[in-house]
Amino acid sequence: MAAPAPPPVAAPASEPEHLPPPHAAAGQVVGQVLPLYFVGDESHSMRGDPIAAVNQGLLDLRDEVAKHPLIGKKVRFGIITFADTAETRLELSELSEELILPTLSTRGRGTSYASAFEALRHTIPADIALLKVSGFQVHRPTVFFLSDGQPTERESKWQQRLAELKDPAFRERPNILAFGVGDADPKVIQQLATSPAHAFMMREGVSTAGAIAEFAASMLNSMVSSAERLDRGEQTLEFEKPEGFVQLDAPIL
Amino acid sequence: MALPEHQAEPDLAPVPEPSVRKRSGGGPAVRRRTRLARGPLTIGEPAPRVEPRLAAAEPYRPDTIADGGEVFGLTIRSASVRGLQKRYVGGPRQDDLCLGVHPPTETLIVAVADGVSAATHSHLAAALAVRQAVAAVARQLDEGAGELDWTEIFEQAAWALVEEHRRGRYDADADAREAAPALATTLVVAALTPEQDQNADHPPEQCPDAIGPAKGQNGRGPEPRTLRLQTAAVGDSPVLVLTQDTFEPVVGETDDADGLVGGGVRALPRHTRPTCAKPRSLRRGSVLLVCTDGLALPLANGIGEVGRTLARELADPPDIVDFARLLDFSRSTYDDDRTLVAVWPGSRS
Repeated sequence: MAAPAPPPVAAPASEPEHLPPPHAAAGQVVGQVLPLYFVGDESHSMRGDPIAAVNQGLLDLRDEVAKHPLIGKKVRFGIITFADTAETRLELSELSEELILPTLSTRGRGTSYASAFEALRHTIPADIALLKVSGFQVHRPTVFFLSDGQPTERESKWQQRLAELKDPAFRERPNILAFGVGDADPKVIQQLATSPAHAFMMREGVSTAGAIAEFAASMLNSMVSSAERLDRGEQTLEFEKPEGFVQLDAPIL
Repeated sequence: MALPEHQAEPDLAPVPEPSVRKRSGGGPAVRRRTRLARGPLTIGEPAPRVEPRLAAAEPYRPDTIADGGEVFGLTIRSASVRGLQKRYVGGPRQDDLCLGVHPPTETLIVAVADGVSAATHSHLAAALAVRQAVAAVARQLDEGAGELDWTEIFEQAAWALVEEHRRGRYDADADAREAAPALATTLVVAALTPEQDQNADHPPEQCPDAIGPAKGQNGRGPEPRTLRLQTAAVGDSPVLVLTQDTFEPVVGETDDADGLVGGGVRALPRHTRPTCAKPRSLRRGSVLLVCTDGLALPLANGIGEVGRTLARELADPPDIVDFARLLDFSRSTYDDDRTLVAVWPGSRS
C-alpha cells in the first residue's frame, strides 16, 4: 500500500477503534441483563392446538428477538412448565438463532401451581447469582405465567408458595404477569399477578389456541419494549393487554 | 484490534491524501479515508453497529451536542449523545444539559436531565428542566443567596413542565400529576463557586491545591481560593468527583435496592424534593462529573473497564469533539442516551 502511514490511533476504515483494554478487576461489570421466565401449563387440558400454539409462539419469540440487533444480548429467557410437577425446560439462555427450544407436550395428571412457584423461588436466585458472578448488572426478573386450568391442589398450598415468591423480603422476587385461558379461574389468575393491572383472562368466544397466540405476541412485544427501556431506571416491566384478553382489574360493566 | 496506548491525535498533523486501493480484477478504485472513518470507540465487547435514523422530533433534537470552554479558571467539557436504541428506532435524545455562568459570583452552574421515556414528551421535559434550573440558580445568586434553596429551584423546574403541559393541552388547571405522563424528567444541578479559603493567610505556595486566577491578574496577587460545590438531584442522575482513578458519588439516588438495578426512578414534576449533598470543596486534581445513568450504569462502581478508561482519558480535558466521542463509546448492552459535564479546576491554557 503506497499510502502514508496513518496516525497512531486511526484504525482502518470501518473497523472500530479499541482503547487499550484496562486490566480486569474483581467486581467488574460487563453488561446488563433482564431475566424473563415463561411459566406454562403442560397439563392434559392443553393437549392439541393450545400446546401447539405455545410451541409456535416460543419459536416466533426466539426468532424475533434473535433478529433484533440490540435486545438479544440484554435478555435472558427461561422456560419452566408445570402439570402435577414443575420442570425446567430451558435454563436461562440468550435468545439466539442457534438456541434449541424444547417442544412442550402435555403430561401428568394434575395442575400444580405450587410446584411452579417453588421452582421459581429456587431457580431465580441461583440464576441471578450466576449472572452477577459473570459480571452482569441484573434487572428485576419478569415471569409470564400461563394456565388453562385451575390448581388441583389445596388452595392453602399454592397460596403459601405464591406468598413466598412475592414476599418483599425475597430480594429477587419477580414481577409476575398472569394469563388465564380455557378453564382458568379469573379470581385465581388475579391473585397471581404482582400488580392488579397485570392479570389477564381470555375473553369469551375466543379459542384457547388463538388467545395463546395473542399472548405469545404480547410477551414478545413486552420483551422488546422492556429491554429497550432497560437503562432507564424506570420500571422495567412494559406490557399492553393482548388481543382476545380482558384485563382483570378493569371495572366490570 | 488491540492498539497501543491511546494518544490524542495531533490537531495539526498533516492529513494524508486519501489512498487509492486498486481492486484486484481491475474493478473501480476504492477511496479509503484515513482519518475520519474511525468507527466508534470500543470499551470491552462492542455493541452492534447501527445506522442512526434521524429523530424527527419537535422541537428539534440533534443526535449529539458537544460544548466546552474555560471560565472563572475552570475548564469545562460537556456532551450529550443519543443512545443506540434511540438511534435504531429514530427516537429523540431524551437527555439534556445546560451550562450557565453568574459573573458577579464567578459561579458555574451545571444542570443535567434524563427524560423519563414512559412520558410522551420527555425530551422536551429534559430541555425545559435544565434551562429553568440554571435560571433559577442564577436568580438566587442575584439575590445574594450563599446557600442555595434547592427545593425552590426544583419546584421552579417542575413548574416549567406543568406550565408547558397547560400550554400544550390548553388546560390552565392541569397539575403535576396530570403533566407527568407527558413531561417527566430527572434533574441534577451543581453550582461551583470560588470562596475565600479558610486558610487565606497561608501563602499560596503552601496551598498547592488552591484554585485561583493567574498570578498578577489585574495587578493583584494570587487569591488563594477553593471551589465550593453545591449540588442536588431528583432521580438517579448522579454527581461524582473523580480523583485519579476513584469515582466518589456526591449525589444521586442509587436504584440497586435488593441488589438489582432499574427499579424505578423519582422524577419531576411529581417529585420536587431533591436529595441535597452537603456543600463541599473541589480541589485541583479532581474532576467534577455530572451525568445521567446512561453513563453511570456502565460506569458502575468505577472499578471496571469503563471507569478505568474514563479515569485515564479525563486526567486532562480532551478536545471538545474528542470528549463527545469518548462519551459515545460502544459497549454491549449499554445503549441508553448518555450525558456528561466534566469540570476541571484550573485553566488548560
